[in-house]
Amino acid sequence: MNINVQLVLNTTIAIPSIQSSGVTCVLVVSNIDLPTNLAIMKPSTFLETSIKDFTVNINNDYRYLKTGYYVSLHAEILGSPVIPSSENILDANRIPLLLLKASKAGIPTLPFLVTDSVKQVMSSFEFPVVVFAVNPFSYEGFEIAKNRSALYRAIKSLGRNYKFAVCVQPLLGEMFTFKSIFGRCKQAKSIEQISRKVYDVFEVPICKLHIQRIGKKVHLCGLQPLRKEELLAVDVEIISEEISQLSKNGDYLIG
Amino acid sequence: MANIACFVEKYNFADSNEAMALQNFKIAAEKQGHEFDFLFRKNLREIPKYDAVFIRATTDPLYTAYIVSKTAWELGLKVVDDPKSIQICGNKIHLYSLFSKYDIPHIPTIFLNKDAFNHKRILEIFKVFGRPVVVKAPYTSFSRYVEKVACETSFREVAKRFFRKSDALTVQKFMPTAFDWRVGVLNDEVLYVCKYMVPKGRWKHGAKRRGKPSFIWGRTITLKRENAPTELKETALKACGVIGHGLYGVDIKEVDGNYVVVEVNDNPSIYARYEDLRNEDLYGKIIEYLVN
Ligand SMILES: Nc1ncnc2c1ncn2[C@@H]1O[C@H](COP(=O)(O)OP(=O)(O)OP(=O)(O)O)[C@@H](O)[C@H]1O
Repeated sequence: MNINVQLVLNTTIAIPSIQSSGVTCVLVVSNIDLPTNLAIMKPSTFLETSIKDFTVNINNDYRYLKTGYYVSLHAEILGSPVIPSSENILDANRIPLLLLKASKAGIPTLPFLVTDSVKQVMSSFEFPVVVFAVNPFSYEGFEIAKNRSALYRAIKSLGRNYKFAVCVQPLLGEMFTFKSIFGRCKQAKSIEQISRKVYDVFEVPICKLHIQRIGKKVHLCGLQPLRKEELLAVDVEIISEEISQLSKNGDYLIG
Repeated sequence: MANIACFVEKYNFADSNEAMALQNFKIAAEKQGHEFDFLFRKNLREIPKYDAVFIRATTDPLYTAYIVSKTAWELGLKVVDDPKSIQICGNKIHLYSLFSKYDIPHIPTIFLNKDAFNHKRILEIFKVFGRPVVVKAPYTSFSRYVEKVACETSFREVAKRFFRKSDALTVQKFMPTAFDWRVGVLNDEVLYVCKYMVPKGRWKHGAKRRGKPSFIWGRTITLKRENAPTELKETALKACGVIGHGLYGVDIKEVDGNYVVVEVNDNPSIYARYEDLRNEDLYGKIIEYLVN
């Protein structure tokens, strides 16, 4: 009856045991080539195994239904602790949930509105506003609307012709976007703080964060996956450093 | 007295039987002394005003309904469908993985990753399952992305379409039956039982596609829950047990006297004069669950 097992047995895979600190193994599943001594398993290979280990899922794209999501799900079904969790993947990629959970954890955010109505936005905020897609299909990020017709166009295009709602926030300062890798970034202190906190809450190792600077204050506005080509050699180095660190420190005890 | 929000979209009122069922929920709530308001997309800011949220709009981790569910959950409200159930039931790979993990009898299934899809694999699958096989996109509902393929060409064609949105899909042994059992479950108890008949010459029970002119839809035969086979009910409860304790509709096939789970749906359709026909108390029971 269990065909799964049969097919898995046909593919023999060497089980990497990384006895770094002598206690536990860390299994790194990555769709990115990493210059490290640690054994790295490809997502497609991992998905056909039943290796139980603390799993670090490295992927440039963790969106729902993408391989990055299925890797975390597979680890969870096997009963392994995994970074990031499938639940965090879902929530981090839905702006209203990102903002809700972030603000609960004390990360500064702005008021937001989930809607598909131009009128409702206009009765809630002054222009300009920032419009994010709520469906996590796109890499598109956000659009800034300075007037009614731009808002109308943004709601229509980011909401895929009203099929989905959008998430609107007021634009009170300037938007700024940066890469966050295991919560690390090479930015000013206030930005770095946000980046670390977002990682503490959602544990998404690789992403882009959108923030808004209003005077000296920094507010979280959005999170987005990275395209593979956006990852530079320096980023890849940081990823390698972080996973070596994880396996050394026994920092794997999560949740 | 509690305030209940029922999250709906316009299409929930397109079919008069569904509209009537929604009205029945309102009546049942008011009879028990509660407030029951319909909450639309544009009123999501009002969620914190309520004690409980009942979602009737179609759920999927990608839809607004998931945001409603998770927001309510984070705010500590009682919510049906809860976010975990939406996450699990909204994805066939998640669902069947749990079925195998916890030994729930289900249709033999394999998962196929985009990167592992090739000629050899296709032949292997045909060899194990025979032909045709059923290919399902993990995100399917209302039978929209469930197709039968008997040769490599059509297998590739269907897979290519489904891989556009999801990097993995499910393939199953083809197990046609004259009807699907549908067992409604709430909080680990059977709420209603019906048979969704498969129209002659077809193999899927068809679908009430909300807001769209419905295509061929098999008859629904409703049983008193007391009169349904015990083993059927036990199988349904066991399947829901690996997901959660909310409201579910379990599809079960009866093959050679065995009960085999096709799927567990969160957000099961409830239409007046169908699911409620011999189980009229279902409205009151769901309301009671929401406020307790
Ligand atoms: N492996 C199979 N063999 C034969 N029939 C199947 C198989 N899988 C599904 N079906 C039939 O196809 C229809 C839809 O399948 P399924 O419930 O898995 O998909 P769905 O899109 O979630 O549909 P729905 O939401 O209408 O229940 C049902 O009538 C079911 O009995």
